[in-house]
Amino acid sequence: MNLLEVKDLGVQFDTLDGTVNAVNGISFNLKAGETLGIVGESGSGKSQTVFALMGLIARNGTTTGSIKYNGKEILNLPEKQLNKIRAEQISMIFQDPMTSLNPYTRVSDQLTEVLIHHKGLSKKQALIESVQMLDAVKIPQAKSRIHLYPHEFSGGMRQRVMIAMALLCKPQLLIADEPTTALDVTVQAQIMKLLSELQQELGTAIILITHDLGVIAGSCEEMLVMYGGRVMEYGNIKQVFSQPAHPYTKGLLHAIPRIDHQGDQLTTIPGSPPNMLRLPEGCPFEPRCGVALDTCKNVIPTLQEFTDNRYRACHSALEL
Amino acid sequence: MLNFILRRLAIAIPTILVIILFSFLLMHSAPGGPFTAERKLPPEVLANVEKKYGLDKPLYQQIGVYVKNVVTDFDFGPSFKYKNLTVNEIIASGFPVTLVYGMWSFLFATIIGVSLGVIAALKHNTWLDYLATSTAIIGSVLPNFVMAPLLVLLFTVYLNWLPGGGWEGGQWQFIIMPVIALATSYLASIARITRSSMLEVLNSNFIRTARSKGLPTHYIILHHALKPAMLPVLTSLGLSFVGMVTGSVIIDQYFSTGGIGQHFVNAALNRDYSVIMGVTILVGTLTIVFNLLVEILYAWIDPRIRY
Amino acid sequence: MDRPQNSLLIVMYVDNIKIQTLADNLSDGSEIEGRSLWQDARHRFFKNKAALISLITLSLIVLFAFVGPQFSPWDYEEIDWDAMGDVQVLGAPSFASGHYFGTDDLGRDLYSRVIQGTQISLMVGLIGSFIAVVVGTLYGAIAGYLGGRIDSAMMRTVDILMAIPFMFVLILLMVMFGRSIFMIFIGIGLLSWLDMSRIIRGQTLSLKNKEFIEAAIATGVKPFTIVTRHIVPNVLGIVVVYATLLVPGMIMTESFISFLGLGVQEPQTSWGALINEGARTLQNGTLWQLLFPLFFFITTLLSFFFIGDGLRDALDPKDR
Repeated sequence: MNLLEVKDLGVQFDTLDGTVNAVNGISFNLKAGETLGIVGESGSGKSQTVFALMGLIARNGTTTGSIKYNGKEILNLPEKQLNKIRAEQISMIFQDPMTSLNPYTRVSDQLTEVLIHHKGLSKKQALIESVQMLDAVKIPQAKSRIHLYPHEFSGGMRQRVMIAMALLCKPQLLIADEPTTALDVTVQAQIMKLLSELQQELGTAIILITHDLGVIAGSCEEMLVMYGGRVMEYGNIKQVFSQPAHPYTKGLLHAIPRIDHQGDQLTTIPGSPPNMLRLPEGCPFEPRCGVALDTCKNVIPTLQEFTDNRYRACHSALEL
Repeated sequence: MLNFILRRLAIAIPTILVIILFSFLLMHSAPGGPFTAERKLPPEVLANVEKKYGLDKPLYQQIGVYVKNVVTDFDFGPSFKYKNLTVNEIIASGFPVTLVYGMWSFLFATIIGVSLGVIAALKHNTWLDYLATSTAIIGSVLPNFVMAPLLVLLFTVYLNWLPGGGWEGGQWQFIIMPVIALATSYLASIARITRSSMLEVLNSNFIRTARSKGLPTHYIILHHALKPAMLPVLTSLGLSFVGMVTGSVIIDQYFSTGGIGQHFVNAALNRDYSVIMGVTILVGTLTIVFNLLVEILYAWIDPRIRY
Repeated sequence: MDRPQNSLLIVMYVDNIKIQTLADNLSDGSEIEGRSLWQDARHRFFKNKAALISLITLSLIVLFAFVGPQFSPWDYEEIDWDAMGDVQVLGAPSFASGHYFGTDDLGRDLYSRVIQGTQISLMVGLIGSFIAVVVGTLYGAIAGYLGGRIDSAMMRTVDILMAIPFMFVLILLMVMFGRSIFMIFIGIGLLSWLDMSRIIRGQTLSLKNKEFIEAAIATGVKPFTIVTRHIVPNVLGIVVVYATLLVPGMIMTESFISFLGLGVQEPQTSWGALINEGARTLQNGTLWQLLFPLFFFITTLLSFFFIGDGLRDALDPKDR
């Protein structure tokens, strides 16, 4: 059985300038213990997709579709019931550890409050468990440093605190929204290694969001490519990397600078990301697509399974 | 922390000295000013002033004497207008009155303003928010000199509930209108600042984190949002305090409460320069001291400020 | 410690938090493809009903101040000796007597006096904030651009000036150097540029490290030219919003002074002076003396307020 089933998820925002369709009919499944990577440029709707999962969509947003967690619908649950799922079942790590921890509150309080609320621990017991968790994410001298404020930690250490905080209740699903984007490259590798170690240990399923294909390559089984709020391609990561089926995915993979190819120029995808206020009528990628057909202008391609467990949304002929 | 306070004091004290110096020089350069020979003072007063400052001495010595008197003895010297009164006596008669209604309106504006702002932010884009916001907008175009006559019109002329002026030792019916008149515009701006600060915090990443941790809403507001949201409000409180002292000029004038503002305006009209200087220095010092308190409080609340 | 601090205007019109976020967003300089920031802002501003109505109202008031005198048989300093004897009855507003707004207690035509007051108050508001904005912008831009010791000395001066009880000094200036409109301009304008200078300094500091400024420095453009050509135009958005919100503050300050009887010299008048006369004569039953000037005062202030807020929202379209 699937741990998570997302069907036809949509997220819209009302703004002064009109309606922004951030996410348009996204579907995917996730099994327990698996890792799914979601890739896309900024503004492609990947963050809003997972915010919808957690019920964290901003006030001016509305969501449609269905999200089933362990077979139970969790989209648009009232806050009270969501709070039973958050942290206990699904928890989240955010992009910017600098601003995602409360700068006015000690780390100890930010950790213990989770245990106190969800597991009803005493303050003392919660502190002991929190220190253990900080040890688990390899923060040195956790016992004394837990009483510091977030700004007294380095960026990498802060992200470790975030991870510890997310794993306190041993959730079944961890969502990591660009967990390494704000960090140095060496620290990025450490954090990714830590995440996969913890995943092995706890058996947590992970949704990993990133715009960095390198991050995904090493750590995911499945991968979902998003563009303009839609899924372009979805499938097993090895197959997608070796045989991309969508022009956008191909473009992305081409754009990775490679040390073994002494090319003189970086390859880029021509054009710029779509304005989410005025999405094209047809395929969102059409204006930048090299193989676009006439139909692409007016007809939105649907996501279709073209071989076993591989999906793509494209009108053009399949070339692998 | 002590270090921080000392460093702030090291800035505050010279600032106060600059204010003293500034008012002295302003006074000195005034046409027909007190420290110039042409001014006709009553002979007794002239004798007092000369004894005190030695008007025959060079300017820098006069400054020196004045600053020394103010700093060491808190003595602003004799009034230039009333031969039997010293500035200290005049201030002592008005200041307690100002302090009483000033403090009440400060409390009133702060408590109501902060509550309105918090409610508006929490109920963002609901009728409660619109109600609180429009109250705040209307309040901010009702300064004390507009509120005062409107209140008198309502409560004295039409309803005949409250006396239109006087103080009578600070009985409650004399305090109500000065307090409301003085507080309204500050209440409004505190409410607006609280609202936008609270909204800013509620939209911040760390509140999103707190929500992702499944904490109850009321807990998040109390433990995560309130403290950071109050910091800008704190700064504006320092400002309201000063504004209230300034506003006393109008309140005292209109309600004849006999506070420090009334003495200031009288002194200004009478060119009673020593009183003007005394009040200006007192208010300036109060401003600095209050802002210092706000800064210390700020540093105490915000752990990121290095002492 | 860099945090907003307001100068000592009677009412803190300018909401420094919003101004600060606006400043931050504008200095990001993110332009959406197609329309420019200003075009977008104009589009949004005209969609804002409150701001639009306020703009129309304000235009009507300005129009009234200019063409209003054409319709009055009375001059603002002319005394109607008939009405003076019995202001409460003969001085009441009436079309028959030509006193559309009634007369004051001296039998002068209130309609003409309100127009006079409107002219003076608007002029004080506009010229006062113009002085404040020019001085504050240049001072802040120069301090921020030069940096180092000069910057700290200049900002320390601002700190000290801020501690001086502004309103008291203004009263003093009026008493000592005689009451005149000129003195009011000088006093209000020169004492209220402090906040402006702080905001602009912060903006300049962040602009200074941008590439186009560095390029200008590298090509040997003189510092003053850099400030006026490159820095000032880039802080224009914030200056416009701030100036709009400063005008009501100025009007209020002038009214405060005039209410005390220290402002404009009779027979000239301003809203503050008129409100003061109305307030003094409350017990006489000549309510029109208070209500007519008060109406114009409040309407104008509200209009400026909504226009300023609308401008800010137009330039910083975050939903709040």
